[in-house]
Amino acid sequence: MTADPPLVQTAALTAVYPTGDGVGPLDLTVRPGESVLVLGPSGSGKSTVLRLLHGAVPQAIDAAVEGSVTVAGRRVGEVGVADLADLVGVLAQDPESGVCLPDVADEVAFPLENLAVPADRIGPAVDQALARAGASALRDRATAQLSGGELQRVALAAAIAAEPRLLLLDEPTSMLDAAGIDAVRAAIAGARAELGAATVLVEHRLDELAGERSDGLPERWVVLGRDGRVRSDGPPERLTVEHLRELVRQGCWLPVDLELTALGLTWDGLAALADDHQYDGRPDGANGAAERPGIAGPSTGSGRGQISSGRGRSGSGEVSPGRGETVRARGVTVGHRGRVVLTDLDLELRPGELVALVGANGSGKSTLLRCLAGLERPIAGTVTGPRAGLVFQNPEHQFAATTVRAELAHGLPDPDPAAIEAALHRFGLAGLAEHNPYRLSGGQQRRLSLAAMLLHDRPALLADEPGFGLDRTATITALRTLQDTARAGRAVLFSSHDLRAVAGYADRVLVLGRGRLLADTTPWRLLRDSALLAEAGLRPPRLVRRLTEQLTGPDQLRAVLRRLDGLTRRLETGTGVPR
Amino acid sequence: MSSWLERRNPTVKLAVLTAVSLGTLFLFDPAPLLALYLLAVLAVRRAARVRRRTLLAAQVPFLLFGVGLVAVNALSRPGQPLWPEAPVRVTVEGVVIGAALALRGLVIGVLTVGFLASTPPRDLMISLIRNARLSPRYAYAILAGHRMLHAMPGRWATIRAAHAVRGPVRRDGRPRFGPAEFARAAFGLLVASIRSSERVALALESRGLGDGPRTSWRAVPLDRRDAVLAVTVAATFALVIMIPLMITGH
Amino acid sequence: MTMAETPSPRTRKLPLRDIVLMVMLGVVFGFLYWALVQAWNLLAVAMGPAGDLAQHVLLGGWLLVAPIAIAIIRRPFVGIIAEVIASLIEVIFLGSPVGPLLIFAAALQGLGSELPFAVTRYRRFGWPVYALSGLLGAGLVFVYSAFRFAWFGQDVLWLRLVLQLASGLLLGGLLAKVIVAALTRTGVLDQFSIVRDARPAAVRRDR
Repeated sequence: MTADPPLVQTAALTAVYPTGDGVGPLDLTVRPGESVLVLGPSGSGKSTVLRLLHGAVPQAIDAAVEGSVTVAGRRVGEVGVADLADLVGVLAQDPESGVCLPDVADEVAFPLENLAVPADRIGPAVDQALARAGASALRDRATAQLSGGELQRVALAAAIAAEPRLLLLDEPTSMLDAAGIDAVRAAIAGARAELGAATVLVEHRLDELAGERSDGLPERWVVLGRDGRVRSDGPPERLTVEHLRELVRQGCWLPVDLELTALGLTWDGLAALADDHQYDGRPDGANGAAERPGIAGPSTGSGRGQISSGRGRSGSGEVSPGRGETVRARGVTVGHRGRVVLTDLDLELRPGELVALVGANGSGKSTLLRCLAGLERPIAGTVTGPRAGLVFQNPEHQFAATTVRAELAHGLPDPDPAAIEAALHRFGLAGLAEHNPYRLSGGQQRRLSLAAMLLHDRPALLADEPGFGLDRTATITALRTLQDTARAGRAVLFSSHDLRAVAGYADRVLVLGRGRLLADTTPWRLLRDSALLAEAGLRPPRLVRRLTEQLTGPDQLRAVLRRLDGLTRRLETGTGVPR
Repeated sequence: MSSWLERRNPTVKLAVLTAVSLGTLFLFDPAPLLALYLLAVLAVRRAARVRRRTLLAAQVPFLLFGVGLVAVNALSRPGQPLWPEAPVRVTVEGVVIGAALALRGLVIGVLTVGFLASTPPRDLMISLIRNARLSPRYAYAILAGHRMLHAMPGRWATIRAAHAVRGPVRRDGRPRFGPAEFARAAFGLLVASIRSSERVALALESRGLGDGPRTSWRAVPLDRRDAVLAVTVAATFALVIMIPLMITGH
Repeated sequence: MTMAETPSPRTRKLPLRDIVLMVMLGVVFGFLYWALVQAWNLLAVAMGPAGDLAQHVLLGGWLLVAPIAIAIIRRPFVGIIAEVIASLIEVIFLGSPVGPLLIFAAALQGLGSELPFAVTRYRRFGWPVYALSGLLGAGLVFVYSAFRFAWFGQDVLWLRLVLQLASGLLLGGLLAKVIVAALTRTGVLDQFSIVRDARPAAVRRDR
């Protein structure tokens, strides 16, 4: 095996974007069949590494590239991206734009047609690729009807159709739920086993990908620091505690075993954290202030308006004025362009509570949030209560102004410059006040959209996947902000895939599945009810499962999880506000 | 069971449709146009098996447009008045020309409906690559555009809802959607779509899309019956024009 | 920071990114136009015979695709290609009632819009070029439509022309420049020629 020539060889490979961020120098060798994980904090250039390997940088994305990279003897800089299609398969993060053609079969046949494979061989190759990706049942479907998980499997089938020797996977599970992750994990393993392809993987959700037997992760990790330089290249056991601490400090997500090592804890010692008040409260300093939302100060909000009734365009549902600040839904049926997604829901969001909304992909979380915010009419039933704020999953969808400052002020009936200035500082956006919102990084955009919504000071706040795409420290900040908002007397609801966040912060959890509200319960009871978890298609991460077994009550669970977050933040204090 | 037209080559169908459409531009007389229209309806019902209700529903915009055309021309063309006592001047010439223009639109419209009903976009693009030498990069980019188009309404609704959260409300509490809101949402849609288009282009390229030699997996055939289609349509058109000429002894 | 030499645009093919962008512009504007026209159609029917004039007021919106594509991609013929692609999308995917003749009209619109940019060698992108682009695009297609719908005999011919040229100038010309400037500021165009051609040579890469 060591006699095989390396499949991928880079020599002093460096890429620098016009913004100044960059990655490298990389001196990597990937052997045929090897499996590599690229790990690092946000902005360290993980995706850039993948893009360098098939030429997307610098051909599709402008950057100054030095050094060389060869794949199976071909120099990537000299051939086009399309010319490497017989060697390299790519699976991107967003399944919506990763699948481009209207029919599944055409999508998988497409790379073969481009490579001038004889027409009679294409049919069997398509079937084989679909089988390897676990998507045979989808062969004759139209791509417009597929869910995110199904699309990812089709995209994987297209990526392996030409039997590539190198497979590049850029956060393939980021938009998927537990079932989707299982399917992708199995498909990748199957593809590797049958094709013997080398894989280079970038992934955040390491515990989920690792799976039940923790065998889903590659054996070789290339760890990047925030400056883009390689910190470590080899098996994860080679990472020292100092490496791990630095990764945690920079906000990187780690598998739970390594996270505990970095924080100086053991599995057995976790239970003790529940009683250890040494880690209570927030660290002092700049970061402490950054977590309190801008609720103090004069009310600049537009939340005094009520959702009142009116003749709707669709359905017989109404949204009527209510007293007080509780958002109530009674007998609500929610749907999407004629198709019913949820029937007959009753729920309440009371002031002072932080409620989580969980369920598999497609269970109707986003649609329900929109109905509760008064943006969509329910097909049946009523929603009463104040006009809620809603923070959307993709912050870019909400941008309505040309500078960050204007964005914060947008929609406010009487913008108070002092309050806006305060919000800029609390959310770490002070230096970006005159920037265009679209130019911000993902984490900065999320902070901006949350800050802008909070300035409206609505009695109720809804958030759709507030931690999506954020690194560890930014996620903690977001959750603490929501918690503070709830404690200040607002009704707060957030939807999430991250059961660790739900277990650590939510007072109550609403479980959606099978077209209805399966349960309105507490996180503790949900986590101990395996039948409910299975019915809703949820799988708690290992840490949460172990803690639920070891600890005796919800307060302990919450305390341990929050203290873990507190320890992470303490490690991070001193390096400034996270990206 | 697919209809006869469904099995014909899309490039030929497109060429025929375009030729007939162009041909109608030279007809100013309502009578042959009406004949063409009736023949076209018959052809589309039979050869493309379009259902009566679908055909009727598709004709409505043309009818509306046509009525408008007749009205405009009737009122705005100088000539011999139809009703001398009427308060507005309605001319014979105007009505005749208006009717001709309206019928032109109807003929083109019904044939287009027949074309679209019998031609999946995928088949059209693949046929254009093979039979019309369209560059595969353009053809597949347009086919990807088909998928992007399907995603548009959902994305538009999401962006409008996202803006409505902080936007102004009407008196009944529903979000207001005026020109300013439309412009902002349209801009947001444009930005999101451009970002998405870059990813799509990279995906297509990563799958090897180029102008080099390629094969087609499920190609669309081109055969004798396509020639039959073209000749039949051409002959019909010619007959429809010539018969009234022969009758009036022009 | 000196501006790098602009590479000869005629020697290389359009990158796929630019082609897909043109398709996407066609899709977005086709969709927005359709959404707008739905609302306008009711108004047009209510206006009665005068509703036929509504098409002239709206036409400028259809001209937008060409100057925006030219400004972003900065290559010859891109305006015409973008308009033709947009019309193909209208006809094939959106089932426009106008039929394949729309493609001819679109080509003419594209040609008219492209001319001022071509004449200034794709180097000038100020208000006058955009304004002229809108005027010419609207004007050229006016001649074609006038033949097609036999407007020449009508009294309202001049009114039609004035409305169409005004719409072309404002919606099809000046609005395009506003949109391009706003898009550039968001950074979403950073990978296209409009931004890449202006970067110093040290960062630019020849493909």
